[in-house]
Amino acid sequence: MTVISVNGEKREVKASPEVPLLYVLRGELDVMTPKFGCGLAQCGACSVLVDGEEVRACITPIAALDGKEITTVEGLPARWQQQRNLADDAERLHPVQQAWIDKQVPQCGICQFGMMIKTTELLESNPTPNDAAIVDALTTSGPSPHLCRCGSYAAIKEGIHHAADLMAASGGDKS
Amino acid sequence: MNKKAEEQDTTATETLNIHGASLSRRSFLGVSGSLLVSLALKPNLGFANSAVTNSLDAAAPNSWVEIHADNTVVIRTGKCDFGQSSIYTAYRQIVAEELGIPVDAITTVISGDTDRTPDGGGTFGLLRTNVLNLRKVAAYTREAVLKLAAQRFGVSPDSISIKDGILSAGSKRASYGEIVAKQALTLEIPVEGELTSFRGLTVAGNPPLKDPADYTVIGTPVKNPIVRPKVSGELTWVGDVKLPGMLHARVIHPATLGSTLVKAGNVDKSRFPNAQVVAINNLVAVVSPDEWEAVQAANAVAAVTQWSDWAGLPGSAQLQEHLRSQVDWNEVPGTAGRFNSGDAAVQASRTHAASYFVPYHKHAPIGPTVSLAEVTNGTITVHTHSQNPQFLRMAIAKMLGESEAAVVIRTYPGPGHFGRSNGGNAGSEDEAVLLARKLNKPVRVQWMRHDDMQWSTQSSAMLSDIRIDLNDSGKILRYEATHFGPPMQDDRPIGALLANLPTISSPSPNNPSPVHRAEMYVADSWVYAGIANVAETGHGTYQLGERESPLKVGLRDHSMRTPIQFQQNFPRESAITEAAALAGTDALEFRLQHATDPRFQALLTRLQKESQWQTRPSPAKEDESATVLRGRGVSIMFRDNGYWACAATIAVTPATGVVKVEQITLVADPGIVVNPLQLKRQAEAGCLMGVSQALHEEVAFDQSRVTSSDWYSYPILTMAEVPKLNVVIAPFQGAKIYGQGSESANALVPSAIAGAFFDATGKPARRLPLRPDYIKTLLL
Ligand code: FES
Ligand code: FES
Repeated sequence: MTVISVNGEKREVKASPEVPLLYVLRGELDVMTPKFGCGLAQCGACSVLVDGEEVRACITPIAALDGKEITTVEGLPARWQQQRNLADDAERLHPVQQAWIDKQVPQCGICQFGMMIKTTELLESNPTPNDAAIVDALTTSGPSPHLCRCGSYAAIKEGIHHAADLMAASGGDKS
Repeated sequence: MNKKAEEQDTTATETLNIHGASLSRRSFLGVSGSLLVSLALKPNLGFANSAVTNSLDAAAPNSWVEIHADNTVVIRTGKCDFGQSSIYTAYRQIVAEELGIPVDAITTVISGDTDRTPDGGGTFGLLRTNVLNLRKVAAYTREAVLKLAAQRFGVSPDSISIKDGILSAGSKRASYGEIVAKQALTLEIPVEGELTSFRGLTVAGNPPLKDPADYTVIGTPVKNPIVRPKVSGELTWVGDVKLPGMLHARVIHPATLGSTLVKAGNVDKSRFPNAQVVAINNLVAVVSPDEWEAVQAANAVAAVTQWSDWAGLPGSAQLQEHLRSQVDWNEVPGTAGRFNSGDAAVQASRTHAASYFVPYHKHAPIGPTVSLAEVTNGTITVHTHSQNPQFLRMAIAKMLGESEAAVVIRTYPGPGHFGRSNGGNAGSEDEAVLLARKLNKPVRVQWMRHDDMQWSTQSSAMLSDIRIDLNDSGKILRYEATHFGPPMQDDRPIGALLANLPTISSPSPNNPSPVHRAEMYVADSWVYAGIANVAETGHGTYQLGERESPLKVGLRDHSMRTPIQFQQNFPRESAITEAAALAGTDALEFRLQHATDPRFQALLTRLQKESQWQTRPSPAKEDESATVLRGRGVSIMFRDNGYWACAATIAVTPATGVVKVEQITLVADPGIVVNPLQLKRQAEAGCLMGVSQALHEEVAFDQSRVTSSDWYSYPILTMAEVPKLNVVIAPFQGAKIYGQGSESANALVPSAIAGAFFDATGKPARRLPLRPDYIKTLLL
């Protein structure tokens, strides 16, 4: 049996080892923010963090994930709280999510879970990315560009800069 | 207090006439109370199948607005949200404005569900005609509340003013909540039309509407309340719905767009113990309680399922030639443009004549379509993401031969698909229904990426011949356009076709439904009032391959964003740019000379400034040996009473054929701006989708099937290609009409980019997309 940590919680997975993480998260574990977009690692709708790195859940068999730590958008607020040692606050979102609200980033929003995951990965390693670093993260750094059909890319860029500001302003060093 | 006790406490019912609506009142001794604004169903409308009869929520299925004693307000609309946020932002603002309440008082928007919303109709032109229902309802409601307040205050309604939800006359004051408290108030609003028709019900009558000069809520940048639950992950998307005991289905669509089933493959039970094959005529699916098993088993079964051969399409490489010489354009009557005028036989000094082409496009939502269906006690419930749920309900009932009363459509957020379901279905809904009925279990049908690319409808292609005659002084004497293309509104659900069940008719010249005809209309509104002689003609045909396909499928087409207008704006604006060059005049200046409407004059002047336009004739006459050539282009459009202008700057690398869009400036005068914040975001996004269509998009197909099957064979824009974007909202002060957003921004970008290419290279790019292989052939 594969054991993974999902958003801070140990989960025992019944599915056989070759099943892609996306189907395990959505079908077995009821973690619904990773979305099915292509199943081909071509769009980024299914992205999750595995030990802090963005991975396409649609093509990653759980066999490869035994003992790893998986974060989805549901787990971003807790991840931030823990990183900054913040008091529990059910209302507080991760700065990336907050930035998405402040800047009204989504149109339909289906791509934005993957966009926020990728942005979190970026800002954790580069807290002040310039436009080139942002474009690199969202186009060439992974198996495919992160696609948005609605064309919200300009808003996403603004959102990422704003998220970087929010993170910088929230004080405390990263542990 | 329970319902029974309330009834006993009521006093006699009193009825008041409110501008043709009827307000009835019963008082009771409870503390609560509400005003429910509902449909007045005329008995002669024959509403056997109306929402009333299949209500799951018997309390208020057909109410538009509910005002509660605690001052909270609920609104209901048959329209849905497709990512533009209008029903959560603009709709609330418009209702709040008419009522004179704060926008936050509208705490709930119930949308789409056929058993919980009153009016039906498609989600398109949301702020054009569609919002008029709720706006009028709000006006009727305000008038009713004014009347009640007048009785209570002992004054005439005229002497009462409303601000922030408080009605006052002199020292007398009461909130909306106080007016409705301790009463059961029902306001019945007169309606026209049919609930499950394409356009749904329309509110009748003419209640007095607030003067736009007095607006305080409209025009403010209200944030979209749905963004928080979306980004926090709290919202249930259509793909997230789980029904108890449901089966996951994958449909094995036929091998071609005309293949019939020869033999369905079997499931290898040793590998897929819980999977099962289901076939209903040519509708073949594999189901399993486990989703991954369904995916794997469907792949295996698809590989051994046999279909007949079919080849009835021209192939996308031959499409232009096919439209030019193989289609009989006399089968469908031609149509003339509404603005045709003047003389055909003018004496021209110079003439520009050329043909232009826009290929098939995909709506291409990021998530492939997904729906669920369940049958309980004879009621068929479909869970889906639809832009026209009542019309879908009609189509499902028709397919099954059931009463519409037996069908309920529940709607959820889903991936934006830009008009694909404005006639009800986007694919998968009817397949889920057929499988659920057959298996007697809830079924979830999730299309895979290739299903969505290959089996959904597409936005159809257009071939256009343009001729522009100039006089001696380089002004346009005459404009002639002839557009040829297949129709754009096939609302037949694919599962009904595969299963060979009854459905609505395909687009044809004698289809009784006006939106489903095969005629090609001139949809690109005329903008050059300064041109005296105009002759525009449209020629329609049947969908390619449909009549040849034993499935009656072929290339099914469907409207996308600005249907037909996109396809006709590109040739017109590209040709105007080339005619300007022929006249030796700057492309923007040339438009100023001919688009004489003062609002276009203001718009173009503003565009000149915002884009730092350098006035000079095209082409730019760059050094041809330069490794990168730069140019700028301009386009204009009129849509939904909105005026739009766009300037694009691009860089062309002749060696690689790569076109890079460097900057887009968009100036919009859309009329009354309901929400500047959301309009700007919508316009930016629409613009970028337009860049995507201009640079990348074309549906590839061979003689049998669509061969664009994923994001590599149907590429769209990535963030690396996003230009500098400047969207300027510059509304004409005094407009009376609400402005719409993203669609127009989408349609006029490609022609500005093509104009920039001509400016940069001196070579016209007369077809989309501007992919490197095409660009290299132009620059040889
Ligand atoms: S769904 Fe995984 S990358 Fe598209
Ligand atoms: S917001 Fe709709 S796909 Fe990105």
